[in-house]
Amino acid sequence: MRRVGGVAAVVGLLVAGCGNAGHSGPGSLRGSITVAAASSLTDAFTKIAAGFRERHPGAKVALDLDASSALALRIRHGAPADVFASADEVSMRRLVDEDLVRGTPTVFARNRLEIVVKKGNPSHVRTLADLARVGTVSLCVETAPCGTLAAEALRMAGVTIPEGRTTRAPNARAALTAVAPGDADAGIVYATDVLAARGSASGVPIPDAQNVLAVYPVASLKGSKHPALAKEFADYVSSPDAERTLRRLGFVAP
Amino acid sequence: MRVDATRTEPRSPPAAVVVVAAVAMLIFTVPLVGLLERAPWSDLWRELTAHETRAALRLSIVCSLWSTALAVLLGVPLAWVLARARFPGRALARALTTLPMVLPPVVGGLALLLAFARDGLVGRWLHDGLGIQLTYSTAGAVLAETFVAMPFLVVTVEAALRSMDTRYEDAAATLGARRWTVFRRVTLPMIAPSLAAGAALSWARALGEFGATIMFAGNISGRTRTMPLAVFTALETRPQGAIALSLVLLAVSLVVLVLLRHRWLGSA
Repeated sequence: MRRVGGVAAVVGLLVAGCGNAGHSGPGSLRGSITVAAASSLTDAFTKIAAGFRERHPGAKVALDLDASSALALRIRHGAPADVFASADEVSMRRLVDEDLVRGTPTVFARNRLEIVVKKGNPSHVRTLADLARVGTVSLCVETAPCGTLAAEALRMAGVTIPEGRTTRAPNARAALTAVAPGDADAGIVYATDVLAARGSASGVPIPDAQNVLAVYPVASLKGSKHPALAKEFADYVSSPDAERTLRRLGFVAP
Repeated sequence: MRVDATRTEPRSPPAAVVVVAAVAMLIFTVPLVGLLERAPWSDLWRELTAHETRAALRLSIVCSLWSTALAVLLGVPLAWVLARARFPGRALARALTTLPMVLPPVVGGLALLLAFARDGLVGRWLHDGLGIQLTYSTAGAVLAETFVAMPFLVVTVEAALRSMDTRYEDAAATLGARRWTVFRRVTLPMIAPSLAAGAALSWARALGEFGATIMFAGNISGRTRTMPLAVFTALETRPQGAIALSLVLLAVSLVVLVLLRHRWLGSA
């Protein structure tokens, strides 16, 4: 709580610095920002953005959802973004290295990998090894965090899925939809994605020894035209309010 | 609407129109220059012969040729019926035939998925009864390409059938030729140029298909990852490979255009 208070003070100072001394409360921030967020954050950030808008009625938040690697590439190519929430530290580091990030990124959540199968698990998948025998397996492209982590989990489990049976989705959400409503037999996605499928697909947990946690850092970006608002949003992502939302959707605390 | 230059000197449009026209041309040419400027010319051969690229090229050629063959085998009879048969609902049938030309391919892919997935309307008995699964298969990629590309053949051939002089067919029939013979010996040779143009168009469209394919057949290396999907997949990891593949698709489009230039661009 102390941190949030500090943030409010900082934001207040920033806003005051802009000459709006009369409206220095965080609720008075105005403007529209674009938040580039990992596709696995789709539901979480839709809710978090709504909560943010409630606190700042003058603020507009647009979400750009895709694989973190794709978002980082877009931002490096000049795509307009005020805040970046990544599903891995590699993509974030790339932006830090190119001096595109304001301040230091904060890790706000973690996420477990899970096997997703068709509703009711008709092909009886129990372990990662079973993925080598079912028909088509949906994985993320190797550049996306969900693809990198899945490859690591499979390596740790000593499982090889032939590339000829692997359909590569551009991001985590697309990997999920390839299983339901799509026609792939199984896939490796985030635990939160399985929850978000709301019963249209089933999940098979991956034991801790083979599981790899995705790490989610958030930061505001230097290219932002509304730096105060961007920073406020980035900080709000770590607030108790947002944390509750994240927890409810299946994310693990940082 | 061409003006005969020997009789009337064509008036050139006002300068403002020429400026706007130049801007319009830039919209087409600037992206192409951008692609050519970044092209890995010195490594082009290596990029094109890389394993992943070769697999995509091979698959694209196989799928697009199959889909063109299907489009001809199924599309010519359809064009024939649409052009010559009188039946209620013909206007609707014609509209349905051209629908995939304007429908976003992703929507087409979703529709294919809902119909042909293992629990889909038709896919259910295909899978349970015959053991056939179209999704995530090369056959599925061919089906997606045919869905999107066949209208180009049907529309071209139908237009040719409607505009051709039917007296030749009548004469052949009067001389005792049966309907099949008339079609084979008279109609088909007369519409051959349009048939070739329609086939080339639908082949080019099939070759470029992306949305319906990735939605319905997925993105499986060597099985459904055709060239456009390989461009998309390689963009982050091997941008040079993506550009090299794009150059191939650009070259193919240009060749098709040059072959068809008399149809579209007049003889100028």
